[in-house]
Formats: sequence, C-alpha cells, structure tokens
Amino acid sequence: MISNLQSINYYIPELILVGSILLAILFDLIPPLKKWNYYIALIGIVATGLFLSMSFGSDKSLFMGMIAIDSFSHYFKWLFLISTFAVLLVSHYTKELDGTHRAEYNTLLLIVLFGLFLMSSATNLIMVYLSIETVSIASYILAGMLKGNRASNEASLKYVIFGAFSSGLMLYGLSWLYGISGTTSFEGVRQALVSNGNPLTIYMSILMMLAGIGYKLSMVPFHFWTPDVYEGAPTPITAFLSVAPKAAGFAILIRFFGSVFSNSDLTPILGLEWPVLIAILSAATMTLGNFVAVYQNNVKRMLAYSSIAHAGYMLMAITVLSNTAIISVVFYLTIYLFMNLGAFFIAIFVENKLKAKTIEEWKGLGFRSPLVAGAMVLLLMSLTGLPPTAGFIGKVYVFSALIENDQFYWLLVVAILNSVVSLFYYFRIVKSMYLVGTDETAKVTPHPVILGCILVLSFPVILLGIYWSPLITFIQSIL
Amino acid sequence: MNILTLAFIVLFLPLASFFFQIFFGKRIGRNAHWFSLIAIGITLGIAISFVANIFLGIQGPMLEVSGEWFTTGDFTVNLGFYIDNVAAIMMLVVAIISFLVHLYSTEYLRDDIRYTRYFGYLGLFTFSMNGIVLADSLIMMYVFWELVGLSSYLLIGHWFEKDSAANANKKAFLTNRVGDIGMFIGIMILFFQLGTFNIQGLAEGVYFGGFDGNMTLLAIAGVLVFMGAVGKSAQFPLHIWLPDAMEGPTPVSALIHAATMVAAGVYMTVRIFPILPPSALEVIAVVGGITAIFAAIIAITQTDIKRVLAYSTVSQLGYMIMALGVGAYQAGFFHLVTHAMFKGCLFLASGSVIHAMHHGLHKINDHHTDPQDMRNMGGMKSKLPITYWTMLVATLAISGVPLFSGFLSKDAILAGTLAYFNTHHGWTIFLPIAGFGAAIITAFYMFRLIFLTFHNEPKKPEIYEHLHESPMAMTTPLVILSILSFAFIFTLPHLNPIHSEGWFTHNVPMVENVGLDIKSVKEEIDHAHGSAMTISLIVASLGIALSFLFYYFRKVNVKKLTTTLDKVGLYRLSLNKFYIDEIYDALIYRPFLWLTKMISHIDWDLFDQKFIDGWGWLTLKASEGSGYSDYNWLDQKVVDGFGKLTKFFGRKFRLAQTGVIQNYLMGGVVGIILIFVIIQSF
Repeated sequence: MISNLQSINYYIPELILVGSILLAILFDLIPPLKKWNYYIALIGIVATGLFLSMSFGSDKSLFMGMIAIDSFSHYFKWLFLISTFAVLLVSHYTKELDGTHRAEYNTLLLIVLFGLFLMSSATNLIMVYLSIETVSIASYILAGMLKGNRASNEASLKYVIFGAFSSGLMLYGLSWLYGISGTTSFEGVRQALVSNGNPLTIYMSILMMLAGIGYKLSMVPFHFWTPDVYEGAPTPITAFLSVAPKAAGFAILIRFFGSVFSNSDLTPILGLEWPVLIAILSAATMTLGNFVAVYQNNVKRMLAYSSIAHAGYMLMAITVLSNTAIISVVFYLTIYLFMNLGAFFIAIFVENKLKAKTIEEWKGLGFRSPLVAGAMVLLLMSLTGLPPTAGFIGKVYVFSALIENDQFYWLLVVAILNSVVSLFYYFRIVKSMYLVGTDETAKVTPHPVILGCILVLSFPVILLGIYWSPLITFIQSIL
Repeated sequence: MNILTLAFIVLFLPLASFFFQIFFGKRIGRNAHWFSLIAIGITLGIAISFVANIFLGIQGPMLEVSGEWFTTGDFTVNLGFYIDNVAAIMMLVVAIISFLVHLYSTEYLRDDIRYTRYFGYLGLFTFSMNGIVLADSLIMMYVFWELVGLSSYLLIGHWFEKDSAANANKKAFLTNRVGDIGMFIGIMILFFQLGTFNIQGLAEGVYFGGFDGNMTLLAIAGVLVFMGAVGKSAQFPLHIWLPDAMEGPTPVSALIHAATMVAAGVYMTVRIFPILPPSALEVIAVVGGITAIFAAIIAITQTDIKRVLAYSTVSQLGYMIMALGVGAYQAGFFHLVTHAMFKGCLFLASGSVIHAMHHGLHKINDHHTDPQDMRNMGGMKSKLPITYWTMLVATLAISGVPLFSGFLSKDAILAGTLAYFNTHHGWTIFLPIAGFGAAIITAFYMFRLIFLTFHNEPKKPEIYEHLHESPMAMTTPLVILSILSFAFIFTLPHLNPIHSEGWFTHNVPMVENVGLDIKSVKEEIDHAHGSAMTISLIVASLGIALSFLFYYFRKVNVKKLTTTLDKVGLYRLSLNKFYIDEIYDALIYRPFLWLTKMISHIDWDLFDQKFIDGWGWLTLKASEGSGYSDYNWLDQKVVDGFGKLTKFFGRKFRLAQTGVIQNYLMGGVVGIILIFVIIQSF
C-alpha cells in the first residue's frame, strides 16, 4: 500500500489537470486574460495527455487503496481525453453557445474530465460515490448552460432530481455492502461476500448499485432522464454526455462487478446470479432504445434513444464478463466514441446552419453538403452495424463473446432483431438527406474546425472496419 | 529506401491518384492529369529499379513479408507482399503500359466531359493490378482480382450514355463473376486442406503431402482456381465479354483488355503453376488450345478494327494458357510480356486510326459512318506514317516474323506443344495443330487489317482528305511500344534473332511442379525447338503470303470465295462468332428469363390471384361482410405485421416518457421492485 504522500508521484497527470482547472478559473477572473481561458483548457488536456502517456504501463494502488493506476484505467482515460478535446473544440465554434459564459463552460468540462478520470480508476466504495458525484454535479450545470432556454433549464432540473434519486439509491446500496463487510475496499468487500453472503441482502445492494451506475449508462429503468436531457442540453454537451460518462460508467461497472461480485477468475460468486439480471436489463435497454427511436422526429432525441440502445448492446458483454467480453466491450466503446461523437457533430453543424431539428428538415443535405452527408451515411451505417464499418466489427466481437461462453443465446437473437429495427430509423436520416427533394440548393459547409473533427472521427470508423486487428491486439495486451 | 517502402509506394501511389482525381480533379480541370502522370511515372521508376535488382544476382525473392490482417476464432488471415523476378517483370509491364496509356489518353480523351474521372479510374485500375502482382496469398489476389474487375467495369462503361457501353460493362462483370465463383471455391478447398492462403505456403503444403495423395481433389481445386483465369483472361467458353468490352475508350482497351488485366489470369496461373497436377494442366492446355484457334477463326471475318484486335487478344491469351498447360511455364510468361508490348502498340495504333477517322468525319459533318469499320478506310499509310510503321512492327511481331519479339515467345510455345505431343501422343496432336493453325490465321488476319486500313486506294476519299497524323502525346507511346516489340530487347546481351536465350530466360527459371518432371519437360522442349521453328516460319510466311494475295494484290476474289465457303455455312459461322452468344442466349438467358417469368407467374397469377384471392372470394361468398374484414385483417397482419408491432410497442414505450419527473422516478422505483421480484423467482 502506497501512502498518500508517495502516491503523488504517480498522480501527475491528474494533478496537471487540476492545475489547469485552477488556472482556467484564475484566467477567467482577470479580465485581460479572459479570452485565453479556452486555450488554457485545450493546453491543459494536451499536457495531461502527455504526462498520461509517460505513465503508461504502471500498475499501482494509490492513496491507501482508493484508486488504481493501471492499464485498464489508462485506456479509458485516453477515451475521455479524446472526447473532451473534441467536444471542447467544437463547442468553441457552435453558435448555440453564443451568449453563455464560455469560460465557465470550458472549466466545467475539465472538472467533468477529472471526475471521469477518478471513475475509471476508483477501487473503493467511497471513491466510486465521490467520482460519480463529481461528474454528475458538473454535468447538471453544463446541461443547463443555456440560461435563457426553457428546455435547457428543464433538462438541468430533471437531471438533478433524477441524479439525486439514483445516487441516493446507490449510496444506500453501498452502505449495505459496508454493513455486510465492514470495509469499503473492493477486495475486502469481495472476501466478505465470498465467506458469508446473504443472497437477499447482496441482491438488494447490487440493485441499488446498479441504480447509480445504470443511471450513468442510461440503462432501463434508469434511462428516463436521457431523452429530455439530451434534447434540452446544448448539443455539444449532449454529444459529450452520450459518450464519455457512459464509457466511465462501463469502466466502473466492469471493475465493480469483476472485482466485487466475481471470483478472481471472473466467474460470479457462488449463489449470485447477477449475469441473468444484467442480461434481462440489457435486452430491455436495447429493445426500448430502438423501438422508441423509431418514433422520434427530433434528431437529437433519436440519437439519445440510439445511445440507450447501444448501452444495451454493450451490456450484453457484461453478462459474461470473461476476458474476451471485456475486450469486446472496450473495443466497442472505442468505436462508439468515434461514431456517436461524429454523428452528433454533424447534427451540431446542421442545427447551426440549417436551423434543423427534425429529420424532415435534413432534406437535401446530400446535395447541399456532399462530404458531410457522405460522412453521416458512413457513421449511420456504423451505428447500425453494417460492414465494412467499425460498428459491424464491434458487434461481431460482442456477439462472439457471448457465443464463446455458450450462454444467453436468446439475448443474441434479441440483439440481432434490434439491429434490424435500428436500420429503419437510422436510414430515415439517409432517406431525408438524399431522397427528399428540396428547393434550397445553396451549398453549405461547416466551420473548418468542425469539418476537421467530423472527418477525423469518421476516418477510424472506416479504417477499423477493414483493419482492426492492431487495436484488438493492443487492447488484449493491456487487459 | 528499402524494398518494402518501395512496394508500398508502388501499390498506393496510383490509389492516391484515384482519390486525387475523384475529389479534386474537377476543380483543377484538365491539368489534373499531371498528378496522375507523375504518380504513375514514379511507379514506373520503382518498377524499373525492381527489375534492375534482378541483375544483382540475389537468390530467392527480393521481398517476402506478411502481416496479420485479422484473426477470428482459430484462423488468421494474413496479407503480404511477395516479389520475385516474375512479379518484378510483371510490375514493370503494368507500369510501362499504364504510363504510356496515361500519356496517350491526355490527347485521346482531350474533350471528354468526364476527363478527370477517367484518370481517376485509370489510377484505381493500376492500384488494383499492382495489388494482384504483389500479392503473396490467393485471398489478397482475390480481393484485388475483384477490384480490377470493378475498375474494368467502370472504364468499359465510361461512355455509359451509349446503351451498348452500358450493356457491355454489365456483361463483362457478370461473365467474370461466373469464373470468380469457381476461383473462390477453389481457394477455399485449398485453404481447408492446407490451412493457408499463402501461395508459397500452398506449394510447400502440397509437396509435403497436404493432399495425402488425393490428387483428384487437388486437380479439382486447381481447375476451379483456374476458372478465375478463364473469366478474366477471356478463355473459351467465358470469352464473350472481351469483344464487347471494346465499347470502352481505346486506350482502356490497350491497357486493360489487351496488355494487363486480361493477362492477370495468365499471371495467376503462373503463380499457382507449382501446385497444378498433370490432370489439371491437361484441362488447361485444352481450354487454351481451343481458345487460340477458335478466336483466330472469328478474327478473320470481323470488319471492326478493334474487334479484330479483341479476338486476336483472346487467341493470344489462349496461346499463353496452352503454354502453361503443356508445362512450358517460361514460354507462357514470356509470351505474356511480349504480347503486352505489341498488343498494347496495336491497340494504341488502332486508337490513332480511329482518332483520325473521327476527326475526318467531324470535318465533313458525317455522324453515321462508323469510324472503326475497316471498310471505310484504306490508303492511310501516307496520311498516318508513324501510326503505320509502328503498327506494322507490332503486326510483324504478332505474326511471328524473326527479329521481332512475338517470334521468340510464340516459337517457344509451339515447341512446348510439339514436345507435349511427342511425349503424350494420341489426341494431344490437337495442341500443335491448334497452335500452328492459329499462327497461320493470325498472320493472315493481321496483314488483312494492315492492308485494309493502310494500303491501296482510300474507300471514302471525302473522309480521307481530312485525315491527319495524331499529336505527339499519342505517337510517342506508339514508337516506344514498337521498339519494345523487337526481339533484341528480350535477348540482351545476346543478339541472335532466332534464339530466345538472354536475360529473360536466365531470370525466369523453370519452377518445380507437383506432378511433372520439369527437367525432362525442358529437355523435350529444347529437343522440339528446331522443328517448331521451321514449321512456324513456314506457317507465318504462308499466312502473310495469302494475305498479300487476297488483300494487297487482290488476285483472289474475296467475295466469290466467301460465297463459296458460305454454301456450307463456314463464312457465317466465323462472322457470327460461332453463334456462341446465340447459344448462351438460347441455353442460359432465355431459359432463365423464362424461369423467372414462370416463377413470377406462379407467384402472382396463380398463387396471389387464384389462391390468395380465392380465399378472399371464398370468404366473400361465405359471408359478405365479415369475410371482407377478415381478409383485410389477415393482409394487414401478414404484410405489415412487424411494422405494426414495432409501432405498437414504440407507442407504448413512448407513453412512459411523459416529461413529468415524478413519473420517471416512479418508473425507476417500480423498475427496481420488478427486477427484484424477477430475480427472486429465478
């Protein structure tokens, strides 16, 4: 066990991040430096990334076992860094946020990023709770950033109430676990559960835990906040919320279920049938997400439900939680980051330039902005899971993880049927872009930075659809 | 730079040219061709350096690398490069022809509306072709095989406004698919038996008993893989697409449908030659022999200048395939290379003729006369001197006249067939007969082409007046290719015009074969060399002499002769290409169309109209009112069932999203309780 003081040595990336948060706040307070706030935030992320890459390969338990610095969290941290960086870039150029306090916005994003870092490396019940709250509270403010906009205010308020409800439940569940084991460290709780677990109480605590984590994943039945918040929040924040906290939720779910409710060989503790529970929730989540998405006319709302459905697909892999399953879900999350952020960024561009909110209003985009529309088709294909895109490969790996474990074939059938349904609503956008006529023929192009982000995010979607083995090998090597 | 980097550049630079032309070409306009020219020029430079590498005397392949593409379950698919002397020479052939065709096209397609797209497709083709050449495994070759098929499709259909072009590219694509399916099955048989796609690995596997003496299966696999070559190299009976492919621009015909892509089938057969057992080689030899003689016969009566050359290409490809079949591996590949040069020259020269005719017709505002019909030409020798002389050189080469390259390679093939007959006897006499027969016919129809086009008095003087020699960008490639049609190019440092000994024969050694004793095959071929040369000299001069009699001195009344021959249907047989298209039409297309019509008839007229509607009628009769609603309900349920269900649940689920936060929290709590109850019941 490494003492708090010694731990600092291994905690430099996070310290750099905290330092840049403080610097960003400071710059915001001094009028002549105010405009530099944005660059401080960008530089802070880059610097954190630099120091993070230097710490690659270390495997330490820091702050008296509160957090773990290992390859698993390292990989997730990169996902958070990339998505925050991209969102920060795009936010700066979207008209939606004009008139808001941008410096606050940038700083809050960095705070969420710090919370995400903590989430991916938490190994203690207290840390789990604190990290989730750090992310949540900053997110509430970000969702309500558009102060003059009623939808945004409503979104923020609903988010707060639902978030408080879920974290309350989770805290209650954590206290049960503490009551059973007398310790807050993952390892201690596991040993207590293995030796003397009363299944009923453990089940209760698992359920309560799931309320807290499931709300971050927007897992049924803790998904209710998602569509309203996604629709009301500023679109860059929606894009961010649909990717980064979800990835962090999965990180915490994998770590928690893998090291608390499982034996060391990743099989569930005897008498605990939590895989069945996750399987049911996974099926419910993807089915609800896809079926309701069919009905949405608002693009952001549709993408919100689509992100619920994707959480359902990824939960499939958690049911088996074997090594291959974890690899597959990490792989899927990586691809999901690219395709979902890409799709949302295109939605931002369309909203900015065409003032379009509904699918019908996307009409004619295929001719007015061929490059962006082409990228959108690619991203939608990937979201559906059609070859030769990365989304297809991601699904293949998740499905094969299930087949390899010879379990839950019914879940597989549900997932495949769901993919069929998803094709329907994703391609409504394609239909609107290419097949619906419009009188407007003037070409529209996004701001170069936004276009750059879209293209950079689309490229891996096609690349990983053709040549994915280096990434899989890399993930294999670090887990 | 090391060889691996160079190989990557060779492969991807043409692809870069494709992307450049497609995305930026239109904006830059005509000058965009510079990018492609430079890109292909660099590839040419690298290809030359690879061939130069041969002379450094390194043993074994210059490059052999492979890396994992993907792993699923317990099998891994690798992609990699394999460059030996054969690949290096092939790459140089592709690069030379591709570069010259790029150059030529800058003039030939000067005013084309899709100018940059055309150059983009040429880049895509060159990329795909290099992929085939560099591939170290059959699966990678197959991927690029389909890509050349695609680029060929796109280029044949370059003028897709013409129905004939749109039909031709469809025909080419579909016909090739037939062969490719066989090829894929063959590849999979080899893979499941030997566990690898790697060509070297396959050869090793076969030698170390991977087929356990099951030579029949190996032969079947070999013939199936060869089916890919039958399609791509336009061998009988899948040759029908190549003459139609002449609907594409002429430079494309030169590059794809004469010199490189159609030779890909031969190249692939060269690559898998070591694992082909004698029984498979026999099939290959017969297919090649039939193609050689049969296409040559058709070529005699064609009047379209490009179609003559197209059938001539089919016939020459048959030669190469036949050479591989009889074990004359070296000769087959040699003919591939020499043929690429002189046939490329012939096509580009015919393009020059068509170009001139086109401009002539344009001047006199004639839009009906066919600029490709040789019956409208004649006497063009003085108007297009460069075209004439270069085309004559290439014609001498293809006819097998000494001093020219075709003589050497054709002679080697004919020696191979003779040797094969000497060792096998019996029916194999067919192979030398097909070989020498095709040689005499080739000499005849090629000189017929020359005489009809360039000699005697012009048939349409009004057009003739306006003819001009083509510009430099078009004549330069002609001159270069005609120089490359001379024999000495391939025999350096020796200059003996009647013996093929030289750098080529030294650097393309015979390879081992699973069933043949290569040493004795080679000895037999050397043995037959003398007699083959004598006979082939005789037949070549005979063919040329006949042509002189018929079309230059016109001592023979051609009309009268054809009418006489036609009494037994011979002339029409050749003119109508042995009715192969008609036979396919009668045996395949029409029965298939009939079948689809029948099925749709059964489905709609019988099943739908009689059976389904019969039910409606029955229910109507049984109970007018309820019957109708029942039918409606059934129809809705069957047809819209899934959509309805989706919508229904979608609506139900959506109702939960009320927007009232209290309901959400309620949902959460109820959800937890529900799950808890479910778990307890497990």
